[in-house]
Amino acid sequence: MSLLKVTGLTKFFGGLQAISDLSFEVKAGEILGLIGPNGAGKTTAFNLIAGFIPPTSGHIVFNGESLIGLKSYAVTRKGVARTFQIVKPFRKLTVLENVTLAAFLRIPTRKEAESEAGRILEKVGLKLKRFTLATDLTLSEQKRLEIARALATQPKLLLLDEPMGGLNSTEIEQASKLVLDICRDGVTIIWVEHVLKAIMNASHRVIVINYGKKIAEGKPDEVVENPEVIAAYLGTKKQSHVTD
Amino acid sequence: MKRLLLAVALILLLAAPWIVTAPFFVHLMIMVLLWTVLGASWNLLGGFAGQVSFGHATFLGAGAYTMMILYLKLGVAPWYGIILGGVVAALIAMPIGYMCFRLRGPYFALSTLAVAEIIRLIALNWESFTAGPVGLLITTLPKVTFWGKALNWESKTPFFYIAVVIVLSALFATAVIARSRLGAYLLAIREDIDSAEAIGINTVQVRVAALSLSAFFAGMAGGFYAMYLRYIDPDAVFSIALSVEMVFIAVVGGLTTVAGPLIGAVFLVTLGETFREHFLVGHLIFYGFFMMLAIRFMPEGIWGKVRLWTGAAPHRDKS
Repeated sequence: MSLLKVTGLTKFFGGLQAISDLSFEVKAGEILGLIGPNGAGKTTAFNLIAGFIPPTSGHIVFNGESLIGLKSYAVTRKGVARTFQIVKPFRKLTVLENVTLAAFLRIPTRKEAESEAGRILEKVGLKLKRFTLATDLTLSEQKRLEIARALATQPKLLLLDEPMGGLNSTEIEQASKLVLDICRDGVTIIWVEHVLKAIMNASHRVIVINYGKKIAEGKPDEVVENPEVIAAYLGTKKQSHVTD
Repeated sequence: MKRLLLAVALILLLAAPWIVTAPFFVHLMIMVLLWTVLGASWNLLGGFAGQVSFGHATFLGAGAYTMMILYLKLGVAPWYGIILGGVVAALIAMPIGYMCFRLRGPYFALSTLAVAEIIRLIALNWESFTAGPVGLLITTLPKVTFWGKALNWESKTPFFYIAVVIVLSALFATAVIARSRLGAYLLAIREDIDSAEAIGINTVQVRVAALSLSAFFAGMAGGFYAMYLRYIDPDAVFSIALSVEMVFIAVVGGLTTVAGPLIGAVFLVTLGETFREHFLVGHLIFYGFFMMLAIRFMPEGIWGKVRLWTGAAPHRDKS
């Protein structure tokens, strides 16, 4: 059975159709890559699943329950956590406080929430920075803090919105390893990314969307061969080149 | 060390009416205490949760009218009236919160201003209930004996101690909330509402809770204000100037700290009185000028600055 099933998801912003009739499934334990050119609707899809904006129509079923109509905090409580593409840490709080706050969702006492937060920070490699204010972290560290905070809510499904945007190649490698680690711990992942190399190496399956529509789905190496995907990313040069 | 300082401060506070006996100075101390409660009330919402309200006079007025109407129409003793004033203010805060917290940032701040004006106009025009612009007047307060001695309501001392009780409860509540999970959630909301939602916080509910708690203390202060001055009218307790003054006290004292509102009230009330005494004309110009300097050079507030100097974090008071 699939952990998340999205059917016929559609979102209009005024007259603009940002997501149109999008359907896909995610199996438990899977890493699903969600790629597409700028403005394809990847982040909108995340915002819809996470309850940040309501869909115009369509169904989102998570773990057998519909998420339609739930506010974002309620979606998080059901076990879907997200990170933000543009990081949104609690800037004037320390790294430990950031993560402890998220741990409070499942662990009511401060002491235990703090020790859980410490465990997660060790996992994402921020333990030494735990008393640093979030605003003083580097971008790479803030991206990891986003992930740590999401993990502290003990999600079944983690939505990663460009965790590697703006990172250098060493940092990308570390981040890839972290995503695989999280998956190994039993968290299912949907991952939006522009760094195609990373997502191709780490995902089990990839969905490509363009103009809010799904244009391809499959194993990473199959998807990159798909002419429609190539056209979406590189554009069609001349009519003659794309004719078969 | 900290406990010792706290104990000394408490003893000084309780002994104050015996040390300073001139009625004017006792009155000044009472006003400082009253404004401390109002500053602390605003600080809960504006400091911890970062939600700027320009309409807190609503809750002050609700408390004042509750106490007055209960006493004048039903004969409920003022001290119960003060507490019930807090309760009524907290209840009124809930629907206001559910309406206004759909808005964020400056839009929320503007909506509080609008609501406060609406409530002031209701109080002004609902004459059968509030007596409208004529106002409500207490001629005599009930006779009370305390340790076998009749309390003298003409002296200011009993009012001073009532104010002390309200201030201590407000500051104690702030300290408890600062350390609780609710306090942590408020900081999260102050820092980033989207992120707070993303980690499972129902930010509307938490903000409404903060507003209600904040309103409770403003309402108690209002009830006390009415009992102390014995006369209120809508323009005296629902005015925008009161709302703005609460913001100043909390900001100048130091946002998100426990002691900040007390420090802010001490400075601003005494300064206001001093300016009024020395510059009969235009004392508000000097007051305004001081506010500008304070905000320019001490954005973290007086107490926040002291905490910076002593090495404690200015924005997160855990004491």
